[in-house]
Amino acid sequence: MLKKITLGTLLLALSLFAASEVNVYSHRHYDTDKELFKMFEEKTGIKVNVVKADASALIKRIQTEGKNSPADVLITVDAGGLFQAKDEGILQAIESEYLNTNIPENLKDKDNQWFALTKRARVVLHKIGSSVPDELTHYEDLADPKFKGKIMVRSSNNIYNQSLLAAVIAHHGEEYALKWAKGVVANMANAPKGNDRYQVTAIANGIGEIAIANTYYVGQMVDNKDVSQAQAVKEVKIIFPTFKNGGTHINVSGAGVAKYSPNKENAIKFIEFLASSDAQEIFAQANFEYPVLKGVKTSEIVKSWGTFEDDTISMNLLGENNKKAVKIFDLANWK
Amino acid sequence: MIILSHIFLGSSENWEHLKETVLFDYVFNSLYIMVGVAFLTSIIGFSTAYVTTIFSFTFSNFFHYALILPFAIPTYIVAYIYGGMFDITGTVTTFVLNLLDKNLSEVVFFDIMSIEGAIVVMSLVLYPYVYLISKTYLKAESASIIDASKTLGLTQWQIFYKVIIPISRPAIVAGVILAVMEAVSDFGVMDYYGVATFVTGIFRTWFGMGSIEDAARLASILMIFIFLLIFIEKLQRSNKKYKSSGKDFKPIAKIELKGLKNVLAFLLCFTPFFLGFLLPFTQMSYWFVLSYKEVIDEDFIQILIQTVLIASFSAFLITALAFIFVYNVRLSKNKSSDMLTQIVKLGYSIPGAVIAVGILSFFALLDHYIFNFFNLNILISGSIIALIFGYSVRFLAISLNYYESGFSKIPSSYDDACKTMNISQSKTLRKVILPLIKNSLLASFIIVFIEVIKELPLTMVLRPFNYDTLAILSHEYVNQSQIVQSSVPAMFIVGLGVVSVLILARNMIKD
Repeated sequence: MLKKITLGTLLLALSLFAASEVNVYSHRHYDTDKELFKMFEEKTGIKVNVVKADASALIKRIQTEGKNSPADVLITVDAGGLFQAKDEGILQAIESEYLNTNIPENLKDKDNQWFALTKRARVVLHKIGSSVPDELTHYEDLADPKFKGKIMVRSSNNIYNQSLLAAVIAHHGEEYALKWAKGVVANMANAPKGNDRYQVTAIANGIGEIAIANTYYVGQMVDNKDVSQAQAVKEVKIIFPTFKNGGTHINVSGAGVAKYSPNKENAIKFIEFLASSDAQEIFAQANFEYPVLKGVKTSEIVKSWGTFEDDTISMNLLGENNKKAVKIFDLANWK
Repeated sequence: MIILSHIFLGSSENWEHLKETVLFDYVFNSLYIMVGVAFLTSIIGFSTAYVTTIFSFTFSNFFHYALILPFAIPTYIVAYIYGGMFDITGTVTTFVLNLLDKNLSEVVFFDIMSIEGAIVVMSLVLYPYVYLISKTYLKAESASIIDASKTLGLTQWQIFYKVIIPISRPAIVAGVILAVMEAVSDFGVMDYYGVATFVTGIFRTWFGMGSIEDAARLASILMIFIFLLIFIEKLQRSNKKYKSSGKDFKPIAKIELKGLKNVLAFLLCFTPFFLGFLLPFTQMSYWFVLSYKEVIDEDFIQILIQTVLIASFSAFLITALAFIFVYNVRLSKNKSSDMLTQIVKLGYSIPGAVIAVGILSFFALLDHYIFNFFNLNILISGSIIALIFGYSVRFLAISLNYYESGFSKIPSSYDDACKTMNISQSKTLRKVILPLIKNSLLASFIIVFIEVIKELPLTMVLRPFNYDTLAILSHEYVNQSQIVQSSVPAMFIVGLGVVSVLILARNMIKD
């Protein structure tokens, strides 16, 4: 009898515990997220459990765990990861009035399997005082021979380069994309290596004149304790190029609910929270990202870079074209 | 095995593409790195092991410890620091150019962020593998060999290359294989330095093209490469057997060096110590001082304790497992169990994230089985057990290599002698074998301990919820451009490494 009661309480305790948690598989690894998760716990009493790794690895983990998977929410740092997750069938469609009305059409999945949470722009930087801004207004210009020996950009292993080329494919087709990639390779000042910050530091030091980088990297370099980064970023300026038939290339970080989510309600609540204005402001302030919610202020540093028009192609296309992009990079010999 | 099976899958469109475009680069660069790292680590590791064992010179006792230290520094930190100093915009480069009043294009410049640079950086932190195994071996190799050679009228130099190098070959090779496997399985350094290898290719194919099958196929080719390497070496070695007679374990009387020779010996040891440890350590210390107040809090302490616990437990388990493996091979003298040991070793050449996926599949199956037959919904995948299992697959090779060189010093005539004296096998083990390989046991434990602390990709994929280690914390700071803050967890990794290395070296001296 006693045994039964203990077992019963134990089971009850377990189910109660299960009811008040949300298990998050995240590719994001920022201190801001920790802060946000804590806010969510305090607000809702739902405990947030996190495991962080690369999106592809997390997707594989959810896949192999199958129906037993404890995963509720998957968060990635790029549209490619979200597309891949949907493609592998590990996400499910969700009904959320709030997300449906507040996240713009091009920033979410057409079947409501994922929603963008933040935006980052892939832009061009140049040294202050250089003539680059007069000559470069479009991404297409990067392949122009007049920039021979001037471009600093990282390796094509990087997802942000893959997304940029995926966008080129979406706008102009594969044939043009290969020509463009070859043109950029011919214009490189150095073999591709390092990360985005490395490219910015290089042009600040007079190696190359044009650096391709994501906006939030630039933000992270400001006031950095590493003096060489903080110094370099003072000597450069951002321009927001556009596609000839579109806007400035953006990528997103976003989230979806796992197919076998054991805490689906909490999962939806969690994603809605991350898209709420409070959370959006923290994303924007602390990590120099652009909010997806209209009317949320960006940080002062981000504001100082100026404004731009988003390229409005669907984020789905970035994911869809990713594989083609990687192959074109190989063909163009973009290391 | 799961990974190997992918080779035999039919051709795919992706695979054709890889063959036509980048596969040659992957093969060429990986081979170049293997050869380069093998060359540099064997030269640095063995020469320093020899010099510190045979001679006494200025600070030789200090170098005895200090030469192991580069091993304690995470590779990506060294790579990053070296990039920051010596690449095209590096602080040292800029300083020297200003001094010469020249432009980069006007001087002969070696860019550290290149394949050669990656080889140098990897070798600087990996040579301790060769150093440690060679040193344990040289110390145990009876001084009588040197004495005998002397009576034959050989000079010190002749003894070195005619006697010492050939008899030390198993030890050098054991160390070099570990160094090479770690170098070719690295992702962080190669990606940052812009070098396309099998491993960067594996991730590009998996993440970028969404094809885990083709990624696994790349991984299998890499494994075959390594397997061939080990196999050819074994084949060659079996032609020339230098088995220890086991007599005269008398200590080597160190020869004192004076004058120019003293200076040269000092420089030979100081250079790798300086480049592999002191220089990056100094930079890290500076960053540590700038940011420790901001980084160290309650969470940090908990992560520190967690890291130490899992590393000690894993090191203990792996050391024990490896012992069972090697001792079994020795007793059974069975070719197939020897083969198995060699295959287990290959785990070290596979990048951690790829192993992680194999392990996930394995435990997913097991979980499924448990669920179906016992109706218990227990998830082993995503538990600490899966993580420790992952470490075992990856690091068993290190432990095995330490034993193999340790055991090869114990002549099998010992076992036979015990048998004829009717001493039981367990007693032989306790009274004869264990005392003789005590050093290998300790070395294995400590090296695996440090490796687990430094491990990153496998931990990330397999870990349970809300579980961080020092390496992960450091990695997250780097990802947020906070290289200065990342030095704080990295410093603790180095600190734990240094303490363990000191324990190891003290025991080796006492012997």
